[in-house]
Amino acid sequence: MNTLRKYPRKLFWRLYYIFLVVSLILDFYWLYNHIFHYHFSFQYIAQFFALFGLFGCMLLILIAKGMGVFIVVDEDYYQKGAGRSN
Amino acid sequence: MNSWIHPGLVICIGGFLIPFIPWKRVKQAYFLALPLAGLAILVSTSMGAFGAIPPWPAALHKWNVPFLQYTLDIVRINKMSMLFGYVYVVAAFCMNIYALGVKNDWEHVVAMIYVGSALGAIFAGDLFTLFFSLEIMSWAPFFLLLFRGTQRSKGAAFRYIIWHHVSGLCILAGILMHVYQTGSIEFTHMPWGWEGKYLGYNLMLLGFVINSATTPFHSWLSDTYSEASPSGSVYMTAYTTKTAIFCLIITFSGVPLLMWMGAIQSVFALFLAVLENDGRRLCSYHIISQIGYMVAGVGMGTEMGLNGAASHALCHIIYNALLYMGAGCALAVVGTAKFNRLGGLYKYMPIAFWLYMVGGFSISGFPLFNGFISKAMTIEAAEFIQRPIIYLLLEGATVGTFLHTGLKLPWNIWLQGREEPPDDIRAKLKDSPFNTPVHMLVGMGILAFLCIFLGVYPKILYDMLPYPVEYVPFTVTRVFSITQMFIFAFLGFWLLRKLVKGYPTFVLDTDWAVRIIGGKVIGFCKGPLLAFGTTLDRRIMELCGSFISKIKDPKIELRLTPMTIGFGVLVSLILFSTFLILKI
Repeated sequence: MNTLRKYPRKLFWRLYYIFLVVSLILDFYWLYNHIFHYHFSFQYIAQFFALFGLFGCMLLILIAKGMGVFIVVDEDYYQKGAGRSN
Repeated sequence: MNSWIHPGLVICIGGFLIPFIPWKRVKQAYFLALPLAGLAILVSTSMGAFGAIPPWPAALHKWNVPFLQYTLDIVRINKMSMLFGYVYVVAAFCMNIYALGVKNDWEHVVAMIYVGSALGAIFAGDLFTLFFSLEIMSWAPFFLLLFRGTQRSKGAAFRYIIWHHVSGLCILAGILMHVYQTGSIEFTHMPWGWEGKYLGYNLMLLGFVINSATTPFHSWLSDTYSEASPSGSVYMTAYTTKTAIFCLIITFSGVPLLMWMGAIQSVFALFLAVLENDGRRLCSYHIISQIGYMVAGVGMGTEMGLNGAASHALCHIIYNALLYMGAGCALAVVGTAKFNRLGGLYKYMPIAFWLYMVGGFSISGFPLFNGFISKAMTIEAAEFIQRPIIYLLLEGATVGTFLHTGLKLPWNIWLQGREEPPDDIRAKLKDSPFNTPVHMLVGMGILAFLCIFLGVYPKILYDMLPYPVEYVPFTVTRVFSITQMFIFAFLGFWLLRKLVKGYPTFVLDTDWAVRIIGGKVIGFCKGPLLAFGTTLDRRIMELCGSFISKIKDPKIELRLTPMTIGFGVLVSLILFSTFLILKI
């Protein structure tokens, strides 16, 4: 039983916050120093990829949940009328 | 030099011997040796044992057999087919290890026929050989599904084979029209357009698009792959769709329609994945989404786009098999992969979790994992041809992919913020962290190693690609932007994590049309139409019966006077002459 381990929750959160802050600072710093080479002008907006990641992810979930109102059904939807499907 | 040993044939025919080997260990060793034999043939071909492979698109041609008035080019070896060939046999080896625990030998046989026929298709140089291989290949998953033996898998098998008959017929019709128009059976680049004279090519394209599960014809994939046995579904993830991508690369590269279909599909599949409750169905939607990148790359048609599509197909086979194996582990050990019934498995299956996470990071495209070196190439190809919308769709799909396979699936199966799994699941687990069978972990381990190896050292992959690669994946811009995007995508997931947990529901997909409307058509045929037919049948029989009884009536001879006979002849003459007049 003592071989069972919990997942490293604290370590993960510590690392996560460090990465979060470092990425925010680095983006401003490198953008200011013209390190980045993008192809489209909108990519040069400060923190574009942070915003894209955050809002892209949230929008995806929210839109999908909105779609879900119409396309989510009971788990045995196709099994109810066994004669119809299969 | 016309001689070559076809690895597909070796694997196909070799597979038939598996059930006849009486000793268990020998059988397992032989099962593992088959893909290795294929690999040995490919390595020796690469080293020039059968003649040097010329630079793309030129090829080595072997096994030229006369057939009707044509010459079949059964084997055509070029850089693209070698690339796919390598990953097919390597993936087959890992999948065979994963499937060692399967009791039914015929499942192994079918799997080997599947792998062998896929190799036959990618090495085909003419359309007839291609079609023949594709047809064999379309039957193998049918049996893999039937072998699971449940009522649901049986239904899925029949739906699967209906889809693939439709696509097969489209391809056949396209091939025949092409051969009729041009007289050539070469498997090469095809013209494409919307005009009527391109009907055959559009049919062929439709066939390949169905086979590669491109939206809106994607629903067969999520419907059927999640119904096979844990090991059977792993085989299915790799071969059908990627062979279709290979066909698209050869025949329809540079079709703008494909670029848009691919980009839209890569995002659309993710919306459905958000709502999904079944781990393997979720992974299926990710196959569809990732195929979007490949289809988009093919549609761009630039050297970079095609390189991106080919390399992504290769990397995708590796990490997606790994993902399916990870979700399959839960299914194999505790009997379900439904999110609402799982959670907290980490304590009992930690190795499977970490190996799965390698696949999760790879499919998301984290730097130093293999998804990064191939996916970034396709995305950058969209940047190079100045397509901002395609770029945003593909980049958005990257975020969504990370959200699901990197976060949602592992969170729901292994974590969910709980230490222990639900009681009914806990009862099926031993008190040790080694609940997953060892052969499954070994299969996953090799694939995980390949994911990281290719991600750290992409040169080995880039050297195999058909076009010379000038692309450098590890630039500050690319590595930083994608890492920052993932860090913040995690934040988005964490804020809305309550919304993406599993609910015992089912997501309707475009197969609704096939299942419900198709079911209604069958219901109409079985019910009202059959009743109408039976009634009609009975009425006619009654009419005939009464007619016969009238003829048999002895009094009828009395009515046959010269007058009535003459009248009858006159009527027939009038009818006959009317017919003749109308005919002229």
